[in-house]
Amino acid sequence: MTILWFLFKEGFKGLLRSKYSGAFSIIIIAISIIMVGFGYIIARDTLFMVENIRSQFDVDIFILTTAGSDDIAVFDKKLRRMNEIDRVIYISPEIAAEKFKKEFGEDILDILDYNPLPPSFTISLKPIYRNLMSVEAIANILQRDSVVDEVKYRKNFLIILEKYQRIILVCVLIVFAFLTLISIILTSNSIKMTIFARRDIILTMKLIGATNRFVKTPFVIEGTLEGGLGALLAGLIIYGIIYVQNTYLQSFFNYTLIVSYQYYIGLLLLGSFLGWIGSRQAIRRFL
Amino acid sequence: MISFINATCSFRKNAGVKNLNFSIDDGEFVFLTGPSGAGKSTLLRLIYMDLFPEKGKVLIRDYDSGKIKDRQIPFLRRKVGMIFQDFQLLKDRNVYQNVAISLYASHYKIREIKSRVYDILNQVGLGHRVHHKPTELSGGEQQRVAIARALVKEPIVLLADEPTGNLDPRVSIELMNLLHKINKKGTAVIVATHNYSLIKRVPGARLIQMNDGEIASIT
Ligand SMILES: Nc1ncnc2c1ncn2[C@@H]1O[C@H](COP(=O)(O)OP(=O)(O)OP(=O)(O)O)[C@@H](O)[C@H]1O
Ligand SMILES: [Mg+2]
Repeated sequence: MTILWFLFKEGFKGLLRSKYSGAFSIIIIAISIIMVGFGYIIARDTLFMVENIRSQFDVDIFILTTAGSDDIAVFDKKLRRMNEIDRVIYISPEIAAEKFKKEFGEDILDILDYNPLPPSFTISLKPIYRNLMSVEAIANILQRDSVVDEVKYRKNFLIILEKYQRIILVCVLIVFAFLTLISIILTSNSIKMTIFARRDIILTMKLIGATNRFVKTPFVIEGTLEGGLGALLAGLIIYGIIYVQNTYLQSFFNYTLIVSYQYYIGLLLLGSFLGWIGSRQAIRRFL
Repeated sequence: MISFINATCSFRKNAGVKNLNFSIDDGEFVFLTGPSGAGKSTLLRLIYMDLFPEKGKVLIRDYDSGKIKDRQIPFLRRKVGMIFQDFQLLKDRNVYQNVAISLYASHYKIREIKSRVYDILNQVGLGHRVHHKPTELSGGEQQRVAIARALVKEPIVLLADEPTGNLDPRVSIELMNLLHKINKKGTAVIVATHNYSLIKRVPGARLIQMNDGEIASIT
């Protein structure tokens, strides 16, 4: 108990004693967290945008004009029972004609005297099935049904989307790994300066028979606190930037930044983690 | 208690100490003298295992320089007190904290720490300086803080490397008297010094004279 209390007090006092180098570490950590924090938002919104584009993807199923209304009703039920399908819309020839009129401004009945448009279904798949492989499989199954004339979807759209999504994902991962590594190195180095300024304590502690763990712990506590404070600073700055964006620039960029309180908790944890690992790395040199 | 057996410890270019063979018993007072560079500090560092002999070995109670593991060294150092010419106090802490840190590191309980620290500070005559910072103390007082820090954990031996190097003659004599008093209570004391005039302050003390890394004479 005594020893834990002592080590915590030492950690806190160390933070107060280190003044400039401590403040410097906090700022470095804050900068690291702002980089990683915005990196996260940008990555998240880019991927969200891709997902959004993907959600516009749907599959059209054209029914044979010879199919009877009973067969269509059976097929409709079958579609609605399928697990992979999120939403089913039936487009009767009449509705198709109306759509045609809206789109081309002319009544198809005026041109042809009869309605050549077949009945069709537009289905949208559940998000996890909106990929090329699943879509192809589902289209194959549907194609086999006796009432179905043709299953149509934008294959190229999916191919391009998947390609870009993969590129974006890889970039995001690389940038993230890089940012995190840089953060750890920066943090560790700035904490090393703090420790260097007080290496006499380490020397004295070792001389009087302190174990390495005893020498190390106050510095690690101090580093973790610096990390937490850096995160707090970063959180305030990010909050400020988000506020300015959403209040004054929202209409200009047509973009609203939304983060939850969990995001800020994540930043706090990230900061403490950076301080913890950074100080552990830094102190190793001096033991 | 302390035995050097054919211990040799050299640095990259210079020889530190060569073929040391001697032992020191519990409660002895030993002076270590010799010209600058004779190897006095090196000998002391071998005792608190800041250095290790490349030939021979050094035994301190149950600790063998050839077998000791890194994680055991702190435990050895809790049995060996050290003071230096430059005191090596922590400047940002007061006298009480400088002494208490030694007990915190040895995992004492808070209540025992308090009573022991006040007790030892009274013994070295610093009971009235508890809340001063080292910079607010004279050299002699600072060295007494260092002694209190070394003694508070009740070591079996107190090592002093040139303890009076920064003190004037009168204060040096006072300090020697204090070390003598401590020795009479049972702690072995080893003092490395150039100052021959101090040696006669402690009647009956042993004398190890060193020259060029070797023992020139021993009593
Ligand atoms: N860290 C070191 N690196 C290289 N050589 C060293 C080192 N420490 C001591 N020596 C050498 O070892 C020899 C013994 O040095 P030591 O410091 O033990 O002498 P000393 O008797 O304590 O001298 P002084 O009275 O000046 O303190 C000297 O030749 C010295 O140059
Ligand atoms: Mg010396």
